[in-house]
Amino acid sequence: MNDRERNLSSGRVGRRAFLRAAGTVAAVAGFPAALRAQAREIKVGYLLPVTGPLAFEAGLALNGLTLAVDEINASGGIKSLGGATITLLPGDTQNKVELGNSEASRLIDQGVVTIIGPFSSLVAFSVRQVTEKNRTPFLLLAAVADNLTEGGLKYTFRMQPNGKAMSTLTVSNMFEMAKHANVPIKRVAMMHEEGNFGTTMGNHVEAFSQTMGYELVQRIPYNLRSPDLTSELSKVKAARPDLLIISGYYGDSKLIAETAAKLRIGVSALVGLANAAYSNPKFIAENRELTEYLFDGNYWHNPQSARARAVFAAYQKKFGTVMSNHSVQGYQVTFVLKDALERAGSTDRDKLRDAIAKTNLTDHILTQESIRFDDSGEGINATPALIQVQSGKPVVVGPAKYAEAKPVFPVPKWKG
Amino acid sequence: MTWGLLLQAVVSGLLLGGVYGLVASGLSLIFGVLRIINFAHGAVMMIGMYATYWLFTLARVDPYLSILVTAPCFFVLGVAIQKIVIEPNRAAAEHNQLLLTLGLALFLENLALVLWQGDFRTVKVAYSSASFVVGDALVEVPRLVASGGAGLVAAGLFAFLRLTDVGKALRALAEEPEGAALVGINVPRIRAAAFGMGSACVAVAGALITPFFYVAPDVGESFNIMAFVVVVLGGMGNFVGALAGGFIVGLAESLGAAFLPGSFKQLVVFVIFVLVLLFRPQGLFGGSRVR
Repeated sequence: MNDRERNLSSGRVGRRAFLRAAGTVAAVAGFPAALRAQAREIKVGYLLPVTGPLAFEAGLALNGLTLAVDEINASGGIKSLGGATITLLPGDTQNKVELGNSEASRLIDQGVVTIIGPFSSLVAFSVRQVTEKNRTPFLLLAAVADNLTEGGLKYTFRMQPNGKAMSTLTVSNMFEMAKHANVPIKRVAMMHEEGNFGTTMGNHVEAFSQTMGYELVQRIPYNLRSPDLTSELSKVKAARPDLLIISGYYGDSKLIAETAAKLRIGVSALVGLANAAYSNPKFIAENRELTEYLFDGNYWHNPQSARARAVFAAYQKKFGTVMSNHSVQGYQVTFVLKDALERAGSTDRDKLRDAIAKTNLTDHILTQESIRFDDSGEGINATPALIQVQSGKPVVVGPAKYAEAKPVFPVPKWKG
Repeated sequence: MTWGLLLQAVVSGLLLGGVYGLVASGLSLIFGVLRIINFAHGAVMMIGMYATYWLFTLARVDPYLSILVTAPCFFVLGVAIQKIVIEPNRAAAEHNQLLLTLGLALFLENLALVLWQGDFRTVKVAYSSASFVVGDALVEVPRLVASGGAGLVAAGLFAFLRLTDVGKALRALAEEPEGAALVGINVPRIRAAAFGMGSACVAVAGALITPFFYVAPDVGESFNIMAFVVVVLGGMGNFVGALAGGFIVGLAESLGAAFLPGSFKQLVVFVIFVLVLLFRPQGLFGGSRVR
């Protein structure tokens, strides 16, 4: 039996073993302080469908995250943590619930202080249980379903507007505009895809009709793979609405706008509601004539903000394209985390959670007042912007405080 | 205004129905001769649409003209699929062959996702948004061409089956495989021809749709399911029945959309589907042979 074995079997630390251990500690402690600070990193996990059907949009959101992390690290990291830098750890959901859960668990095992993601509401609904159980802050990105913050969760936060804020504020913005233009809106028609997203929006627009005093003359859920929507839109036309609201994805929203134009649908405006196409730069670039004067209520950046302009320039330089609204969300949510880390002065996940809950961030690039969260983790001031395509560019036309151009309303081209 | 709505629904239904019919014709032909249910049919159509898209984007080939290139290419592709994937498993149990085509569909869709990503692509041609009005009904030119083109291709195929030796061999094989082999028909070769023609049909359908629809890796799915309904409606393996079934499904869909609330239009189609299976399982026009 040699020294070490004797020490182990007796359960006592011998002199030689103690000296060895002490030497190691001294060696570590002897490193220059600066070097140690540099080596410190804060792991942040992202959970996004970077492959699969939502890969394109998820990639844009990831660009925003990367841009923010690079900016934070380049400007001295988290100062209250001795300049610690942020390292992003990847998690791919492929937009599947089971992968979302397993990837979230894996990230937590790898020691992330926060998870940002996961884009789709369906995946978010399940992942939030995993983060709650593991007491890990979960910053939602892009997911809009109302029920994600329900159930007394403590670790889930949502910066962007939920379905209710998105739909009611968009409708209010439209009514505000119509009042200014002296064009009354009495009759509203709504078309939405029949999944969770579209149905949620449809329910809100229907419920909101009481408050705002309009009549929902047609509400048409449709299958987003329908190769033809002429009959549906003829039905809308026959109901003579003043406004047609559309909550849909890319291909279906395009089909609706096209068919509405050909049928001379006769409304004052086509309004997207969290629409995946109508304020999307790629869609606008590919369909210049069709998209001109389309409205969309969506989360957006504040065009009046000098910081937003700088961020857009940095994005353009890094990725070679115009920053999209998903990238803006990714960028901003990372800075919510940065702000909380600074205030927490710790990577302890419970302390970080408390710091996020107390967020009051005024230096941001969104179209809203300061970023704050209520007890359920919902962003109190989260506000969508009203966007209109003008001369081939999506511009903010409301709320008035953030507007960069006057809205064109009513839109002559839709009037038959 | 109700009359206007009815007219519009009928017009839209007929225009869409032709395309459904053409997709289903190919499926029906493959079923009639090979006795396998080809789940990869929609995926082959999707690949056909990408072929049309790339020919247009890279070489400025008009989508309709591209049929001259894609139809022969997809005939060859179909023959290759049959020879390499399906024929070696001829002796396997029927459900294995079913799973084989399902696997092929998943493979093709994911291949497209890897190669061309998930975003929507569109072909913009001068006539993409051309339309005219008949009575109160809007007629979109590319949809009219698609429906008319589908009818023409179907008529051509019908004549081919009636008048040529290969066509007669195809029908013989569908009717009585053993007898066909006994009278000296090269059975594996005719099977390959059937799969090739079915694939060419669906590639043509894809090309006809591209001017007014988008191209994406999962675009075949919506047509695939409808094609199955149409084939059952028209009678499994009944070629003319498939075309007629296409018009019925197209009409049911658009009339359902015009006069029923919400998303009932899909329901109408599947109710018809279930009723036919219950009361006329051989299909409205009788099935089980390539006519």
